[in-house]
Amino acid sequence: MFDCFTPEHPYRPIAGLLLFLLSIPGLCAAEVLRSANEENGLEKWHFIEGDIEIELVQRLPDQTRALLMNHAFSKTVIEQLAQGCMFQTIIRNSGKSSTGQAVAIDLTQWRMRHAGKTGNILLKEPLLASWSDADADPAAKLVIRWGMFPTQQEYLPGDYNWGLTAYGIPPGSTFDLLVSWQQGSAQYHGEISDILCAPDVDKLK
Amino acid sequence: MSLAYSTVLQIGSFMKKIILLLACWSLSTVTLAGQTLAPVPGKVVAPDFTLQDTSGKTHSLSDYRGRPVIINFWTTWCPPCREELPSMNRAWHMIEDEGIVMLAINMGEDEDTIFIFSADYPTDFPVLMDSSGEVIEQWPVKGLPTTYVIAPDGTIAYRAIGSREWDAEELLDIVRALKTSQAH
Repeated sequence: MFDCFTPEHPYRPIAGLLLFLLSIPGLCAAEVLRSANEENGLEKWHFIEGDIEIELVQRLPDQTRALLMNHAFSKTVIEQLAQGCMFQTIIRNSGKSSTGQAVAIDLTQWRMRHAGKTGNILLKEPLLASWSDADADPAAKLVIRWGMFPTQQEYLPGDYNWGLTAYGIPPGSTFDLLVSWQQGSAQYHGEISDILCAPDVDKLK
Repeated sequence: MSLAYSTVLQIGSFMKKIILLLACWSLSTVTLAGQTLAPVPGKVVAPDFTLQDTSGKTHSLSDYRGRPVIINFWTTWCPPCREELPSMNRAWHMIEDEGIVMLAINMGEDEDTIFIFSADYPTDFPVLMDSSGEVIEQWPVKGLPTTYVIAPDGTIAYRAIGSREWDAEELLDIVRALKTSQAH
């Protein structure tokens, strides 16, 4: 079959180089696909580079309100999170490189650019620590403890996780997300630009 | 046939082969990566627990020493948890007579919530309730769903972060192999 790989074939070195380059994670340029769900109109950003895939799906403030109102959160906390630009987030180690290496994510290293300033994204630990029992009872805190994305996590090939990420800016805002991850001893960086927080219900057509 | 035309055909044929090769390579690695279990090194002893299931029966992990145990941590509001429950139920019917135990541990919800949920996602294996979230905190779980496979000696043999198609034979074979292997 693949007779082009016989030693005498003139393209054999090119093919070898191509396969070699594709097998090294991080050498392929990052790809960001932006799409919209045809049924509900919610937008999605899908970042792919080497073994890592990051998906951010818009979440309407009302979706967050509906989740939180089923638990004992105060109205203040419900509005804080509902209007805090939350995204359904999926991070996956696709294992495409076949190196078998884990991908390590540390959200404390991620940055967001908004309105000319660069800062940290919201993490669940400081949020949970800031709430009294009146803001959220212990059972309600479990929803955030397990519903928001883990701050640090390691993914082996085939692993993926799902959770909420929050950015603390008003509905309808845009921001750039500067992501990073570690694989083996190498640190990688990427950017997802012009992410749009879902609008609140009063802005929906 | 001119030399130039012949060269174009040769390059076209070459590119087709490259694309075919890359497509096969890409497809095979993704498919394999999707249905894998990650070995947990160091023979870490699984934290014991005692929890009630939705029918009121009490289960302790230590009761199942000597058998492989699949333990799935989940909640009803976690989409990938919902995605994998049907395949877990199918897997349970494939292995229930093979001496393998399957337990789902719901985190943080009450019996009524699980009962209503089970109308859409029926499970025939025990669903345990960790309503306070105390048990899950004893395990190295970072996100949901996370599934562990416990070896007959009580150590954690494998883990899966995210959902899997649990009725895949290649995945169940990994669990079945624990029945005969002394070491993992």
